[in-house]
Amino acid sequence: MKTSTLRRHLMLSAAAFALGAGAANAQDCPIKIGGLAPLSAPGTVVGGEAMRDAMMIAEADINAAGGVLGCDIEVVIADTEGLPERAIAVMERLITQDGVVAVGGGYHSSVGVASKDVADARGIPVVFAETWNDTITGDKQKHIFRIAPLSSWTSNVNWQFALTLPGIEKVVILTENTDYGIPASQETAKGLESGGVASTIFSVDIGTQDYAGIVERIKAEDPDMIITLVTGEAAFNFTQQAADAGIGPMDLPFQTGQDALESGTYWTNVPDGQYAFVQRIGVPESQFTEKGRAFAAVYKEKTGKSDVESYAMEAYDSIAVLAQAINEAGTTDGSSIVTALENISHEGTLGRIYFDYGLKRDPSEDGKGDEWWHQWPDPAITIIQFQEEGQASSEAAIVYPEAYKTAEPIWVNQ
Amino acid sequence: MHPKRNGGPSVQTPEIFWGVILWMTVWGVLGSVLLRRRYFSRDLDTSNVNFAGAMAGAALGPIGVAVLWARTPKLSGRITTFLGLTAVVLIAAAFSFADPENNCVANGAFRASQFTNGLIIGIIYGFMALGLTLIFSILGVVSFAHGEFYMIGGMLVYYITVVWFPGVNPLLGVMGACCLAFCIGALFERAMLTPMYTGKIDRPVEYGILATFGLAFTLQYFVQALHGASPVKVQRYIDFPRWEFPAGAESPLIETRRGNLTLFDTVSISNPRFIAAVTCILVLLALLYLLHRTWTGKALRAVSQDREAAAIAGIDPNRMNMLAFALGGMIAALAGALLVQAFSWLPQVGAIPAMRSFVIVVLGGLGSLPGAFIGGILVGLVEAAGTGCIPDAQKAASYIPAYGMIVLTLTLLLRPTGLFGRRFASGAHGQGG
Amino acid sequence: MARIPHIAGLLLIAFFLAFPLVYTGANYDYVMHVLITGFFYAILASSWSMLAGYAGQFSFGHMAFMGIGAYGTALFCHYFYITEAPTGICTEFGFFGNWLVIKNAIGVTSTTLTQDCLQQAIDGWGDTVRVWRMPVLLGIILGTLAGGLAGLLVGLLVLRLRAAYLALFTLGFSEIIKAIISAEIDITRGQAGLVLPPLYGEGLNLFGLQFGQTDKIPPYYTMFALLLACLAILTWLSRSRFGLFVRALREDADAAAALGVNTTRYKVIVFTITTAMAAAAGAVQAHYVQIVTPNMLFLLQMSLVVAMAVIGGVENFVAAALGAIFLQIMLELLRTSFSIGGIEVDMTVWRLVFFGVLLMLVLRFARNGLLAPLIDRFARIGVAEETIAKRKARQEAQS
Repeated sequence: MKTSTLRRHLMLSAAAFALGAGAANAQDCPIKIGGLAPLSAPGTVVGGEAMRDAMMIAEADINAAGGVLGCDIEVVIADTEGLPERAIAVMERLITQDGVVAVGGGYHSSVGVASKDVADARGIPVVFAETWNDTITGDKQKHIFRIAPLSSWTSNVNWQFALTLPGIEKVVILTENTDYGIPASQETAKGLESGGVASTIFSVDIGTQDYAGIVERIKAEDPDMIITLVTGEAAFNFTQQAADAGIGPMDLPFQTGQDALESGTYWTNVPDGQYAFVQRIGVPESQFTEKGRAFAAVYKEKTGKSDVESYAMEAYDSIAVLAQAINEAGTTDGSSIVTALENISHEGTLGRIYFDYGLKRDPSEDGKGDEWWHQWPDPAITIIQFQEEGQASSEAAIVYPEAYKTAEPIWVNQ
Repeated sequence: MHPKRNGGPSVQTPEIFWGVILWMTVWGVLGSVLLRRRYFSRDLDTSNVNFAGAMAGAALGPIGVAVLWARTPKLSGRITTFLGLTAVVLIAAAFSFADPENNCVANGAFRASQFTNGLIIGIIYGFMALGLTLIFSILGVVSFAHGEFYMIGGMLVYYITVVWFPGVNPLLGVMGACCLAFCIGALFERAMLTPMYTGKIDRPVEYGILATFGLAFTLQYFVQALHGASPVKVQRYIDFPRWEFPAGAESPLIETRRGNLTLFDTVSISNPRFIAAVTCILVLLALLYLLHRTWTGKALRAVSQDREAAAIAGIDPNRMNMLAFALGGMIAALAGALLVQAFSWLPQVGAIPAMRSFVIVVLGGLGSLPGAFIGGILVGLVEAAGTGCIPDAQKAASYIPAYGMIVLTLTLLLRPTGLFGRRFASGAHGQGG
Repeated sequence: MARIPHIAGLLLIAFFLAFPLVYTGANYDYVMHVLITGFFYAILASSWSMLAGYAGQFSFGHMAFMGIGAYGTALFCHYFYITEAPTGICTEFGFFGNWLVIKNAIGVTSTTLTQDCLQQAIDGWGDTVRVWRMPVLLGIILGTLAGGLAGLLVGLLVLRLRAAYLALFTLGFSEIIKAIISAEIDITRGQAGLVLPPLYGEGLNLFGLQFGQTDKIPPYYTMFALLLACLAILTWLSRSRFGLFVRALREDADAAAALGVNTTRYKVIVFTITTAMAAAAGAVQAHYVQIVTPNMLFLLQMSLVVAMAVIGGVENFVAAALGAIFLQIMLELLRTSFSIGGIEVDMTVWRLVFFGVLLMLVLRFARNGLLAPLIDRFARIGVAEETIAKRKARQEAQS
């Protein structure tokens, strides 16, 4: 521990030194920060647009507060299309064409996995906002940070919550066949098994529209609960078609896809979606930090949405944390920003953001897995339930875990 | 090694199933090749013999092939159909022996549900494919923009009933969507396809494919640029009344709730699909009336049979081209307009139904109207069987897009004219038009 | 004058050869990336135009063969390794004193789940045992062969079909390949994609210059050389008797058959050669991008190739190749969004709308594409003048 604090001191003084140097070398204004978001198919455009809006708000807020190193910042939004090969090209373009000094955002795991190597090889720090696959931080790359939760960890919340259902014996998991869905479904199944609950995994292509056949199969499995690990409209289609067939959220405990957090779109597409559970990252709106509340107000006004999705907040924070790190580093040099990030304490919309492990301290020193490298350990993961029809996701009841609970879950079909 | 992931049941004795499939495949290929040789060397019509030979080999093995070999010139449609059905039954039997605990084998209610689902969705697919085959029979063009007409059909209903005129009757929305799609089809045909008919283009079929391809591309991204990509959906057009037959029974034969309909207490059909299928059948009947009882319809059919003769009889083939393309597009748009109450709608939704329509028209025979409809039902059933019966839960749904394509491949290999196609066997139709 | 196309061609080749050495923009890597991708599409578009424009076989499955090439090398590099010591848990064979190890297929995993057998062995060994990847070149060759073989088989099946049926069949084939890759997650890792080693793993030392893994110059010249090789083969094909037969096939297959051309054989040969080219392009591109996913077979990608060939000129494979490079650059340039009168125009989508409209306009009003007529015209000017000169000379001689 002692060496670690000593090193920290050294680093802080290095940062202070860099600050002076940075002021001496006049920066090219504006300072550009890249923002990854899927804005066209086959990416999840709903999520991408929310992230884009949030990152634009972050840009405006930071500039209104005086910018970074005496410059305005400019967030360069890049469309990843949800494709790994596209992500590589986009990252390359951001770095070499647009000249960004750091990158935030990121929605699809496959995009994160593919593009992180490009950024790391070029020494550009990245703070991923919403890419869950453990490998992203598990590769322990110097320039890669993440404020999204780990996939293994969100899976833990899923199965632990499922195990609280009284008399649960069998769960059906519907997953998309991507590197978000597949590991998550296996981890969830493994966890359920440890609690003595059987599970069957059905995997689908995200482009699927007609789920009638699968819904019948699920019905024949006679599950006590359904968990949907699918993003985008595929989850809407599945949930509504399950409801049509009598195994929807109103018929049995049903956890739907994460995009239901955009409740306006959810209720348009899944009119029979009452009582659905959704996993949500971040604390409930009632417990928002001051910054979180301010952001929520601006975001709702700008987008006309009735609530803030967690990935929008993560996207906002990914830009804001980078801006603070650049300020503290005093330069736009990649290594200095990494050092600043490792020591950062940022009051974000999601809470205080910091990174326990990295170059300064390896996760193995505390017996933790590699995936904890440059990983923010604190994103609160909750399960919410739409207990009333047409409810906004930020007003929905939080039913798990105990620490954040605002209401008891309503178990239909009991 | 890696443990099996899912907790679902696995096939108990896969050897039986794959053994039977292998046996059928070997004899099917042999039968097809041998009989074709024989017919070819005797200078007989070989267009049906591939399929018949394959089915004989698959159904009855060496015996079937030998029988057909012996009675060489005599090959009737009835025998082929019988052999084909036998082969299907054989596969089903092998499957049920190999995997007796599969839901498809053991669970009657499940089978009935899957069958009904396949049938209902098949009717809608078949209806949509009807538009494609109509276009082909008159213009000789496979429209690659069929899926995009389907997409704009649904989108227009959403925009008419939710965005532009909120609260308007959904029927008006559907009709508005059809009218607009009809106009787009007519305009496109006038602007882009007219050079095909004059003989100015040396390869009209390819030109038609590329031109409709361009339209598809443009329409899809145009809608995406205007609408963005958030999924939309419209509310159910009609709510069922609460009704039971016979009333008050313990387990009624027919029971309706707002959102669905239950038959025999086991099969449940969701309201939007039911409404869509019924509407499709009604419109199909109207279309048959149009084609067989009105002058325009007769003129259309005349042009599809013989262009020159129709022109001599005073029918303007150019106008019929326009009508056929617009009508075909409108049919796809109507299918979309009916399904937008069942599925979430995005600018990309057209791709999968378009593929399915291609499969259906090839299976039914390019240019054959009844073929398209029956092909649609068959494809619906095949997809239901594939999704329902494949034991590995992880893969069953991932392969949904492939089931139809396998049917397409088999059809083209064994009987390129499709089930009902005869006239366009060489695919030369439309060349030079 | 008749030489103009040749001279222009040589100048263009010289330009592309010199470009990476003289260009010094800050966006160097990005420009290079766009050009490499442009060459990739150029190979696909030119080989497709040979198939569709020369031979008249309208295949919509070209991207599927590209994908077979890419997945061929990806699977090979992903599953086969050579180690100094046996792992004891993998399938392995002795191999000249070392061990040829075949990894087990575990599909998509995460650091928290079980790793593959080789990884487990490596974790146990630490740094004591050396492990080698398979040579990338071998993977590319295998991928190309796999694509060509698949092309041969499909070619044999489709030779009987014409026009519309052929288009539908190849489209179906492409969809089946895509579905298999997406669904067989255990082997192909599905949508997560397979990661490949870079084209030049340990960098490259050429003429005393050291190129690192991320340097763009080696892949640039590799892809460009592949493009030139493909164009050379296509040129040779079209000039030879073979090319004449192929053209005869397109114009009138029956007449060609009547004249004694073995139509079937030529169709299959053309199909095999062009699909092998697509596979080679796919394999090299896969190692360049270092990841392959089933989305490469997305219908949009095939649309792009078709549109590029048509806009360049579908009956002239050089024009198709140039059209592809040109359109790839245009599509990238058009990505930049702008706003007119306060309305934000999101070019990421609108550029594709323009692209579609351009495709239709070209089809309708310039059936030979935009570039092919230019090339022809220069060639023709020469021919016309030559003829006039000859005629004059003859007249003078007569008078």
